[in-house]
Amino acid sequence: MSGPSPPTATRRGRRWRTGPSWLALQIVLSGSLLLLFLLPIVALFTYAPVSRIVAAAENVQVREAIWVTLYASGIAVLASAVLAVPLGYLLARRRFFGRSVIESLVGLPVVVPHLMVGLGLFFLVLPGSPLYAFTNAVGFPVYDTIWGVVLVMAVVSAPYTVLASQLSFEAVDGRVLESARSLGAGPGTTFLTVTMPIALRGIVAGLLLTWARAVSEIGGILILAYAIYPGGPYNGPVTSTISVYIYNLFQQGDLADAAAVSSFFLLIAFALFLVVRLGERTGWLPWRRGDLTP
Amino acid sequence: MAPVAPGGPHPMSDWVVDGVESDLDSFHLGPVDLSLRSGQAVAVLGSSGAGKTTFLRTLAGFLPVRRGRLLRDGEDISHWMPEERSLGYVPQGLGLFPHRTVVGNVRYPMELRGRVDAKARTEALLERFDLTALGHRHPARLSGGEQQRVAIARALAAEPELIVWDEPWQALDVEARRELGVVLTELRETDGIPVVVVTHDPALAFSLADSFIVLDRGRMRFSGGANDLLDRPSDAFVARFVGYENVYDRAALEDGTDHPFTAWLLRGAGPEGVALGNPEAVPTTGVPSSWEGVVRSARPSPEGLRVELAVDDLMVAVRLPRSWPGKLPTVGERLRFNADATALHRLGPGARTGP
Repeated sequence: MSGPSPPTATRRGRRWRTGPSWLALQIVLSGSLLLLFLLPIVALFTYAPVSRIVAAAENVQVREAIWVTLYASGIAVLASAVLAVPLGYLLARRRFFGRSVIESLVGLPVVVPHLMVGLGLFFLVLPGSPLYAFTNAVGFPVYDTIWGVVLVMAVVSAPYTVLASQLSFEAVDGRVLESARSLGAGPGTTFLTVTMPIALRGIVAGLLLTWARAVSEIGGILILAYAIYPGGPYNGPVTSTISVYIYNLFQQGDLADAAAVSSFFLLIAFALFLVVRLGERTGWLPWRRGDLTP
Repeated sequence: MAPVAPGGPHPMSDWVVDGVESDLDSFHLGPVDLSLRSGQAVAVLGSSGAGKTTFLRTLAGFLPVRRGRLLRDGEDISHWMPEERSLGYVPQGLGLFPHRTVVGNVRYPMELRGRVDAKARTEALLERFDLTALGHRHPARLSGGEQQRVAIARALAAEPELIVWDEPWQALDVEARRELGVVLTELRETDGIPVVVVTHDPALAFSLADSFIVLDRGRMRFSGGANDLLDRPSDAFVARFVGYENVYDRAALEDGTDHPFTAWLLRGAGPEGVALGNPEAVPTTGVPSSWEGVVRSARPSPEGLRVELAVDDLMVAVRLPRSWPGKLPTVGERLRFNADATALHRLGPGARTGP
């Protein structure tokens, strides 16, 4: 037998070296994407004078719209936690007939234009439909109310929680669960003391994504709750979500205000995400970075 | 000797696996028979896919017993829930809780039982397994050997009456393996807890176990003591496991040429093939029952020079005695070796009757 031939050795050697051109390519590509994220924000803030942004922050209508948006998205996230996490668990742990059909169904609200989701919900709660009578009777009127916003937000954003919790539950090693059982824990205790704590981080990440998606929703809301009339938890004057509010400003040609309100909301959203990240760092969220990863 | 476990004396336990069968998808296991009392250790051997893990998971209660019985001190526990069996099952990869610290892992079984002395017992167990300094680390931050010690401390915290461990020596370095052997031996001798292990490592299996069972495609091929296993290997896996280097598949022999060596091996072969007891090279020609091959490689080993010979289209590993006269063989040379019928072991069903 002869030793390894020189060409092979050269090829091996090259594989381990990251050439300067490869590094440059990575920087250019990643940098381009980051610029695409950053430049529109810069443009927004450039277009809106600081005085306008301050005015937007002091505007009662803007505050109303932001409050409604945050409130509705919060309820949508709660609904996801209650309804979407169990579905994620079911999909992760059980093999049953029609499972892939359900998985496709869950993905549907994410892929179709959200106007269609809104339209479907609109026909569902159209005056005269059984659900119209029912929702009004139980005190949850949907059309042009805050509940309509919640409904649209929940439908378009809950899939992220379903998917995230399914992946998180699937990632819990079955042998860890079997250990817990063998050590004396029943199925319920094992779920509460082992499965949930391990999966929690991924589930919370999914809920954050759900919340982000709910806040940014406009398509379905344009159809089901373009204007929000008092009703349910909302008793103020007629308003709209912040996305619809900004859309209206733009439609009316009020570009400076559209930019100012957008800038103000961007600051709020950024602050909220910063709080979550800091929470992760300082440990008041139920995990520390790196604890769960081997 | 009185068995001693942290927290009090341990009840003697007596386990009987009586013709147990179970199924996992299309895989069928059993019937498996085994009996085990305090302080005994059994090693479950078999190639991958033989059903070793299936057997352990059936014992632990994660797969239903389809036929046969599992008895603990005479009581039929075949259909008990895993958490009711008082059986410390340590799966492959150990199954440590990634979200709990070392202390949290070891305490867990005691928290379940609401033990008031949990803190003291946890400390005693950490002390015993030299984990005190690591108490607040998470498993991901421990070495392989440290994780093993956490697993065993946690299993003991549940006061098991049997420890069932899937591949305890997996992914450990030599020193950690030796330490673990000490720990396991202590478990059975000091704590009096019977132990069932699955292993691929013969040295460790022989250092720990009194008896062995061999599984092959779900069937129990062998059950008995170490000497039986060494003298009469039941199949190719066991033969290699107990140290035979020259193991030949029957089909391969039948497909081979008409070379006298192949024909000779085939005559001694069982339904699955034959194992050739470690042959030695002989320095001169003219020795009766000697064969000749071409040296393919020659490497030093702890037992002397190990030479691989090509005989016809078969490879034969032979040893060169330490007292080898003359120069050492080199690649391409011809070399003679000794092998007579007493060195052949039939493999496959009925192998134990011998040739």
